Amino acid sequence: MRERIYEDLTLILRRARVVFIVCAALAGLLLFYYWKVQILDHEKYWTLAEANRTRVRVLTAPRGLIRDREGGILADNTAGFRVSLDRENAANPAASVNALSRLLELDPAVLKDRLAATGELGAFQPVVVKDNLTLEEVSRLESRRLELPEVIVEAEPKRSYPGHRFAAHVLGYLQIMTPEDLQSPLGKRHRPNDMAGKTGIERQYDGLLTGTDGTLYEVVDSLGRTRGEISRREPVQGQDLWLALDSELQRKAEELLGDREGAIVVLDARTGELLTLASFPTYDPNGFISRFTPQEWVNLTADPTFPLENRTIRGLYSPGSIFKMVMALGGLDAGAIGPGTTFYCAGSTTIYGNPFGCWNAAGHGAMNLSDAIKNSCNIYFYQVGRRLGIDQIAAYAQLAGLGQKTGIDIPGEKEGLVPTSEWKLRTAKVPWFPGETISVAIGQGPLLVTPLQIARVTALVARRGVPVTPRLVREEGPLPTPDRVAVPASVFERVVEGMWRSVNDGGTGKAAAVEGFNICGKTGSTQVMSREHAEQLARQGKEVKTHSWFSGFGPRDNPRVVVTVLVEYGGGGGAMAAVLARDLFELYARKYAR
Amino acid sequence: MLDKRLLSELDGLTIGLVLLLSLLGVVMIYSAAHVQGGGYYLRQLTWIGVSLAALFLVLLVDYKVLLGLAFPFYVLVVAVLAALMVFARLVAGTKSWVTMGGFRAQPSEIAKVALILVLARLFAEHRGAHVRWPRLITALILTAAPVMLIVLQPDLGTALTFLPILLGALILAGLRRRTIIVSLVLAAAVAAGGWNFVLKDYQKKRLTTLMHPTADTRGAGYQILQSKIAIGSGGFFGKGFLRGSQSQLRFLPARHTDFVLSVVGEEFGFVGIAVVLGLYVLFLTRLFLVAGTARDRAGVYLVFMVALLLAFQFFINVLMIIGLFPVTGVPLPLLSYGGSSLVSTYLAVGLVLNIRMRRFANV
Repeated sequence: MRERIYEDLTLILRRARVVFIVCAALAGLLLFYYWKVQILDHEKYWTLAEANRTRVRVLTAPRGLIRDREGGILADNTAGFRVSLDRENAANPAASVNALSRLLELDPAVLKDRLAATGELGAFQPVVVKDNLTLEEVSRLESRRLELPEVIVEAEPKRSYPGHRFAAHVLGYLQIMTPEDLQSPLGKRHRPNDMAGKTGIERQYDGLLTGTDGTLYEVVDSLGRTRGEISRREPVQGQDLWLALDSELQRKAEELLGDREGAIVVLDARTGELLTLASFPTYDPNGFISRFTPQEWVNLTADPTFPLENRTIRGLYSPGSIFKMVMALGGLDAGAIGPGTTFYCAGSTTIYGNPFGCWNAAGHGAMNLSDAIKNSCNIYFYQVGRRLGIDQIAAYAQLAGLGQKTGIDIPGEKEGLVPTSEWKLRTAKVPWFPGETISVAIGQGPLLVTPLQIARVTALVARRGVPVTPRLVREEGPLPTPDRVAVPASVFERVVEGMWRSVNDGGTGKAAAVEGFNICGKTGSTQVMSREHAEQLARQGKEVKTHSWFSGFGPRDNPRVVVTVLVEYGGGGGAMAAVLARDLFELYARKYAR
Repeated sequence: MLDKRLLSELDGLTIGLVLLLSLLGVVMIYSAAHVQGGGYYLRQLTWIGVSLAALFLVLLVDYKVLLGLAFPFYVLVVAVLAALMVFARLVAGTKSWVTMGGFRAQPSEIAKVALILVLARLFAEHRGAHVRWPRLITALILTAAPVMLIVLQPDLGTALTFLPILLGALILAGLRRRTIIVSLVLAAAVAAGGWNFVLKDYQKKRLTTLMHPTADTRGAGYQILQSKIAIGSGGFFGKGFLRGSQSQLRFLPARHTDFVLSVVGEEFGFVGIAVVLGLYVLFLTRLFLVAGTARDRAGVYLVFMVALLLAFQFFINVLMIIGLFPVTGVPLPLLSYGGSSLVSTYLAVGLVLNIRMRRFANV
């Protein structure tokens, strides 16, 4: 150490040294702390940094297309724009909501509800605020891009139905997932805010139609602006579906119904494939995609004619005289009547002390089974019913497929009702009255069927006892051949004969006849109100309109097609439904049979 | 004034370390700010040149002469600070800038050098083991005058860095236990008063945020959290130059100024931090060693105050960016972007070198 000349500085230098040692020690401690953060906690901060810089975007997979049997597109995809809010990225979610509602002219309360509806499930998922943006809305949002980095505008495939109302009930519609849906199997395929199939084909085949969404990992900066792509998994479009539907027949059927409430089924008698499934009134499923306004939704659901209901599978009607097909085969098979059994129709009769009339008050005279089917004679079938009794009638109705689902491949089908004595006792707590059997014998009373069930009964008769399962989606390869019912083909042959005469021998169904196509059919006109009420109205000179039924097939041998028509309040089956059926038979014959 | 012999005594190691740290700073400033343009790294290079010139200017004059001018210089600087309060425009919410043409400077940075000189002068004649009240109170007043003016600007971070200068002088001068207790009581009173009457809300928030950095990730805690993420995600070797996502994608706030070391931590990892810390400790060690060679009391005081000032700023910054100290706006000397800070640091280093150069009494 150098000798000091002027001053003794040892004291202050000692003090300085202490401070230096403290500083050096502090530096060591600090380095240790940096070691902890950078090495020991590295993974945690790495994850946070990755979360900072990456944003996961879902690339919506387009749904599979739905095509008719000739390949025509019934359900398509088009490009739409949607805007979503990434709440994770929002500095002030309330302010974002206000800004969005201002830019999109949405009610902020509605917007808040939509955000709340996604619940915790969607807390870290961007929430769709609006889709099907107009180009003007897109540009309005894009111009605020820097102010609102949490707002994402993206192109997405959106479902569209080019035919609008065409075959709407077959296709069904999509709706946004509700919290309940998310708990159901649908929730496994779909995320909150997704549109999922709610009814029809869209629902039944949702699993096939839904593709696999892709994901895009992109780099974002602190302002939420995209700076690049890390990785991308392309979305995979859902599978296309080919329906058995024949658009020409379907369109014809819808035209024929016009603005009449009703249902039309055209079914391939050989396969059970549904060529037509028309129901009126109807709706435009595109409306569900663009999200109805609350008023539109109320209008649709509160409409007393229930446009959302598919009448072919959910409309419950008395079959009326159509049921005589079942009565005839039941009567023959059970031995209650023989082919030659004759009853005399005098226009009315008295059974169990009550008077029962025929639709033809003048009377049909002596009738065998074939005559009775041809003329749809009530008196004849009253007698058949009396001999069979309600429980045997019910057994044959069930054998024909009534009172149960047809097995069509769209959801929501109704079973209808086949009354039995046990049913009466269980529901009404009183025994069955024999008089009620007489009503059921002509398809009235508590008996309820859907138009599709009637088409299936008709197919059973056409196929002489081999049932079919109606199907909308075309099946590849050979169809399973169902076991025939335990009724001999000869019995069905008798019923077919009556149905042939009904159309071709001046019977009630003569309006359905098509030259050269050999159609067999049965009409029905069902009273919609109680008989007393109807008679009262008739006395007052008011017109009493019945539901109008026709169901038939053609040709008589090797049947190819079944047509079932129901027109609500359409009047007599022969005057209305049979006329519509004729046009469909004719179109079918022209297109397929020649 | 500078003969060959003096020149041979120039401390090449210290200058080398200072330049090395400064150039490392330029590299990190480039990484932090190149995406936003503005050429900050070029400006910083220019400032290094200016600072070097200032450093050599200081070497020209014997520090004894400088000490003789200490008091007038101090008065001048305090006058400028007072004038700022009256005339300066608000820049970024404070009145800490002097603008001349396109050139801006923060006089508060120069005030540090002035305070060091004036305190060294004050304690040059103090020979006892403990400081007495008259000198203590003089030192307090000399420190308080610029500090109060700077707090009023308001620039709490810079005001805070005056503390180690006073503290350095008092440590060397020696305080009686009684004096320390009285001072602590007074300090507590001032702190309580300051919290209630002087501190602005954003400054209070910075203090409370330190306790709960994750509670408010978008607000005041955001900076600390993002800085910790940057440093922690760097790992051992870092993500590589220009490849830190926190820095390049601008999640890290004040990347080229107060948080420049976070960029080092992210892009060069623990290795980078250790290198910077190592260089700094080497640099500070060199300063403390120079204190041991000073030929007079004033020289020891001067070197010690400079060393403690730089050590203090260094520690505050290193603690702050990793969440152990509130965000106070104290830059990392030599590395952070900022001309005034750089010039004042080089001036302070110049004083130290001046003392080392003239350590032999018979010159």
